[in-house]
Amino acid sequence: MWGQALGKIAQTLVVLFVVSVASFGLLKLAPGDPIQIMLGSEFSQEAYDSLTAELGLDQPFLAQYADWAVRFVQGDWGTSYVARTDIFTYAFKEALPVTLTLASFSLAFAILIGVPLGVLSAVKKDTAFDAGAAVLALTGTAFPSFLLGILLIWFFAVKMQLFPVMGYVSPWQDFWGGIYHMILPGLTLSTYFIAMITRLTRATLIEVMEQPYIAAARARGEPSWRVIWVHGVRNIAMPLVTILGLQLGVLLQGTVLTETVFNLPGIGQMLTSAVLGREYMVVQAGVMMTATLFIGVNLLVDLSYPVLDPRLRTRK
Amino acid sequence: MKKVDHKKALAERLSARLGRRAVLKGMGAGLLTAAASTGAPGIARAQQSGHLKIASIKVIDTLDPHFTGFLSAIQIINNIHNGLLKIAYDGTNVTFEPDLAETWDLEDDKTHVFKLREGVMFHDGTPCNAEAVKFSLLRVKEGEPKSPHAWKLELLDEIEIVDDLTVKLHFSQPYAFLPVALNGSTGRAGTIVSPAAVQKYGADYGRNPVGTGPFKFVSWRENDAIELEANTEYFEEGMPKLERVTFVLMNEASTALAALMAGQIDGMTDCPMQLVDQVDAFPNAKLYGEIEGNYTFVGMNCARAPFDDINLRRAVAWALDRETLVKQAYFGRAQQAYTPISPPMTDFFDPDIATSGRGQWFDLEKAKEFRAKAANQGEVEVTYMMAERGPVGTRVAQTVAPMLAQIGIKANLELIEPAAWVKRRNEGDFDLYDFEWVADLDPDETLYPEFRSDGAWNFGKWVNTEFDELCAQAQVVLETEARKELYYKAEDLLMDEAAIAVMAHMPIYKVFSNKVQGFEYIPADLVNLHTVSLA
Repeated sequence: MWGQALGKIAQTLVVLFVVSVASFGLLKLAPGDPIQIMLGSEFSQEAYDSLTAELGLDQPFLAQYADWAVRFVQGDWGTSYVARTDIFTYAFKEALPVTLTLASFSLAFAILIGVPLGVLSAVKKDTAFDAGAAVLALTGTAFPSFLLGILLIWFFAVKMQLFPVMGYVSPWQDFWGGIYHMILPGLTLSTYFIAMITRLTRATLIEVMEQPYIAAARARGEPSWRVIWVHGVRNIAMPLVTILGLQLGVLLQGTVLTETVFNLPGIGQMLTSAVLGREYMVVQAGVMMTATLFIGVNLLVDLSYPVLDPRLRTRK
Repeated sequence: MKKVDHKKALAERLSARLGRRAVLKGMGAGLLTAAASTGAPGIARAQQSGHLKIASIKVIDTLDPHFTGFLSAIQIINNIHNGLLKIAYDGTNVTFEPDLAETWDLEDDKTHVFKLREGVMFHDGTPCNAEAVKFSLLRVKEGEPKSPHAWKLELLDEIEIVDDLTVKLHFSQPYAFLPVALNGSTGRAGTIVSPAAVQKYGADYGRNPVGTGPFKFVSWRENDAIELEANTEYFEEGMPKLERVTFVLMNEASTALAALMAGQIDGMTDCPMQLVDQVDAFPNAKLYGEIEGNYTFVGMNCARAPFDDINLRRAVAWALDRETLVKQAYFGRAQQAYTPISPPMTDFFDPDIATSGRGQWFDLEKAKEFRAKAANQGEVEVTYMMAERGPVGTRVAQTVAPMLAQIGIKANLELIEPAAWVKRRNEGDFDLYDFEWVADLDPDETLYPEFRSDGAWNFGKWVNTEFDELCAQAQVVLETEARKELYYKAEDLLMDEAAIAVMAHMPIYKVFSNKVQGFEYIPADLVNLHTVSLA
């Protein structure tokens, strides 16, 4: 098992290397010049040249990449061009926790709402409840999250004054304040996943419920709730975890819009402003973090199969 | 040229305010605010209270006044720093008043003497004296790395320290633009920074600004907030009134408005035109805004075909229906422009410009006449470069395109992202684009750097040496009437040769909730908070 794990980790590193070269190159290819953006509209050629040299942007591509890569691995992520802020602090210590909190809340919402809804739909297959849940799920998948976010803000925050419009409070510092500020953004980001999990749970559970071991459990006289929630739901864990791992990319994409609408200082907002301002180093840090996160979670998903399903454990 | 009375010139610049100043002088500093506020002037120190939270929805690059290129940054910088001069506004006239300087005199038309206020300290406890002024001006003029505002002090020959609180500035020529260059707000070159702090932080001064202003810098969290706290030692008595100020950094204006309506924030440093109706309908907030010192235009590339043809350019200039543009592109809130000089430049703007016969306006017949004289009589196909940027995004381009179709110009609208747009504009890789020059306080900055033949911002590459000479002359003429005439002549050349098709002067809005009191609006996109308090 450990050999397998090490092999997967090695693969991960190769993928990260490819990602870093590709994103570094693509950014350089994109039209737009950070110096011109930094200097605004009023600048002279001398100011332009001296700044270009100062930031090392007059060096050849490979030299710039090598310089960046060596420092990055050492934890020296550089200083952003415009804001002169330490990128490691900004990206890793400030932005990443915000996005992780948002993503965790959305995942929690998705599972806590999606799984029960899916299970009930499966159990009450072909009833009005099932149809209603299907309509809800379809709407959830189709509804653009930023629009939902704005609607939620106007209804729950402005009209009803139940939740704050925007802002981030770290749940590590103020637990309830953190939750309070995360409900609307978490809900906004999770609608798509609630819908997806509901449909997935329903479909797989219906299949699982037709398996012989369910019939056997029923025959043993186990209570119906135990048959469904223990024997049934346990067996949909694997497809659920797989899909969640794969869809994490979509979730991270969604944070960009959600963070903008709710003004959360996370990676999504960081990347948006960095891309628009051609802050190469910040974009690079953001891409590396999201890539690591995505690959890391999928690695965990892979490694979790033997835990979730004893049949997959390698025997000595 | 007749001899200039420089005392009179200075008096003119200080405008009608001078009389009132003399009366209020005895009361000490803060004359404007002392006159406006209800509290008695002359109290020892202000009791600060209240925490103002205000949304800032535009990019802030740095809080270093000598290096920023953004008004959104200046709005904050101006609360931390002071200039030698400041901009004042009484509801009709924009004037320039001494700020850190107690007095400002002209010894002759090239020598300006500034006597500084006594006992003013930077936030780091070092004194703001003649040395600090010299340091700051030199940092702009010849510092390394080079300040983008260095050109504003190009004519400054020598900075003489007369005594600890007196500086004498010797210029190589009379310098009419000086009041703008030396003020601490949109001029930027005259903002005084703490020499000790610049030495301490170096290139990171923009993250650790130290000035003499009403508020001290506390922190800047990326994409989150910039925090300021009251400077209890501030030199204007009774100011500031607030204890804390938070600029909440936001990307989404509609979220900011929702937060304002829900009471989570107290104001917005900028309210986009499309949200103004919503603010108007909301009873608990007040909108501040007027037509400011700006103009918007469609720029044409005079350096390459087809717009190297003067008649084709003239056809465009006369084909734009400004009334429709104001209505559709600017939400009916802007004012039609005939020439670049804008209404707040009260000494230069002609209130009757609409009937004066000067400038450009919509006249389809005239446009068609010019079009008939153009070299290319077939359909002309051009690229109109647009981006989701500026106050109204791509609305101008979409409104202009059908107007051009009427004179046989097919404009292909090309939507590119803002960074690429800036690059292509600066490199002259376009046929048409629209843009706006904002926060201008003097015709010099409105015309000269933008349209001088070798000007850094002359992206359309229009070349006219007569125009250059007129503007250069106007720079060294201190008498307003004579200056005005030179600028009118320069403008007439620019408009006649249609380097641009000028469109509108825009209002710039700010919003504050009704709890916020004492905000003094200045039509230069400033958000000065020293007089503000929370009910």
